[in-house]
Amino acid sequence: MYGATVDTIEDPKSEDIKLREFEARIERGEKIEPGDWMPEGYRHQLIRMISQHAHSEVVGMLPEGGWITRAPTIRRKMILLAKVQDEGGHGQYLYHAAETLGISREEMLAALLEGEAKYSNIFNYPTLTWADIGVIGYLVDFAAILNQTMLAHCSYGPYARAMVRISAEESFHMKQGQDIVIRLAQGSAKQKAMIQDAINRWWWPTLMMFGPHDSDSPNTAILVRWGIKTKTNDELRQNFINKIVPELHALGLTIPDPDLRYNEESGNWITGEIDWDEFWRVIRGHGPCNKERIEARATAHEDGAWVREALDAYAKRSGN
Amino acid sequence: MAQTDTQWPRYQVFLQEKANAPHQDAGSVHAPDSEIALQNARDVFVRRPECVSLWVVPIAEIFSRTAQELATQGLDAEAVEKGTQEAEVSTYCVFAKRRSAGTQTYIGEVEAAGPVQAMNRAVDKFLNDQPAFAWWVFPKRSIVQNERDSIESMFAPAKQKSFRMSMDFHTLTEMRRIMAQAKDESKQNESS
Repeated sequence: MYGATVDTIEDPKSEDIKLREFEARIERGEKIEPGDWMPEGYRHQLIRMISQHAHSEVVGMLPEGGWITRAPTIRRKMILLAKVQDEGGHGQYLYHAAETLGISREEMLAALLEGEAKYSNIFNYPTLTWADIGVIGYLVDFAAILNQTMLAHCSYGPYARAMVRISAEESFHMKQGQDIVIRLAQGSAKQKAMIQDAINRWWWPTLMMFGPHDSDSPNTAILVRWGIKTKTNDELRQNFINKIVPELHALGLTIPDPDLRYNEESGNWITGEIDWDEFWRVIRGHGPCNKERIEARATAHEDGAWVREALDAYAKRSGN
Repeated sequence: MAQTDTQWPRYQVFLQEKANAPHQDAGSVHAPDSEIALQNARDVFVRRPECVSLWVVPIAEIFSRTAQELATQGLDAEAVEKGTQEAEVSTYCVFAKRRSAGTQTYIGEVEAAGPVQAMNRAVDKFLNDQPAFAWWVFPKRSIVQNERDSIESMFAPAKQKSFRMSMDFHTLTEMRRIMAQAKDESKQNESS
């Protein structure tokens, strides 16, 4: 019944009045819940964002998953295993939030496996050394936390609640990464070289995670108006840069950007221009690992078919 | 390929963090039956030690109304009066979301013949305490939870994994120390 409430509202008020009332609720900081009236555009934007976010969590298991068997100690292995398992859980929280908007799990899965769905670009880059696991936790997950902390205040109740749950767990992800980076940065010359190489490769793709500049981001205005986002891509990116640059410098690491400079007046670290051609190339499917990621996901799904069949057969036989 | 590959019905998951706290909505899982639903709920929502009890309820059993729906559509008067579906009166659990940024939380029970009557009685009984933004009612008998003897094996594993707790890492303090040290060193370099 809960799922069926979506299109049963027959409110005689005109769409204009309903939209005004809806926007007034957002203005007051009220959360919209499943069953409440919402403009079609709001539902559409949320399904797009939440399903992409869910896919990112699921695909995000792959670059790190490959290092579970190669972790340097048993403790690091348990931590990484726990982290990757968390990402799988986060994907589930988010698919649930999207389902409350009337899209089915089957539709979302099909879009991912058929290569139609988008997910975060960052996971289309390879993890070449153990240092990459540190950098993903420290930089990539910190970037994700900034985005998720903002979304925990978003106007759609189920998405906001999923984000609260996820943000609490992501704090562990970031700290375990930061721990690896600190150890390597303070380690032998070889370890320092390894972590510097990882920073060099991940720095720019991490800045791209926040998305295009506000001026090139057609969805931003309406997302802010409807309380889905409360900060823009460029604001979040600047928060990230201002926090991470001094920390990497203090660790004796350098940032692969000759134009990086501190602006005394604004208190901001200013970077050189991001390579947007690369950003669009990777989004359109031509990154280093796009094909590999989707193939790995499809193989995992096919390899799991017997489990689903067995559970189905068991449920039918026991009849509960 | 995935279209023919069903993900099964959804079950709503309710989680109790501490013995004296009420059950709260956590999200949902898909499962072929209630036994697997409970197992999936543990795996998805209890990777850390903040759970003493889980309920799973088939989503089809949950009758939900937001304050806006109640105000604009009301409830089916006949179903409120005479009850629906079942003639027999049974116990319904009542959940409400009372803060705008809150979560559906267990607030009590009502006796009713059918979900519409239960919703009406829930609102009557609890609205005076405090208004709510959304209400859920479902028959108490639709709850599936662990048998007493399986509770330990269900929730004990999460308790031993301190390495997945954020508190187990002290990197923020360590980073502050490293930054203070780097600042001191650069000052010394300037003065020398």
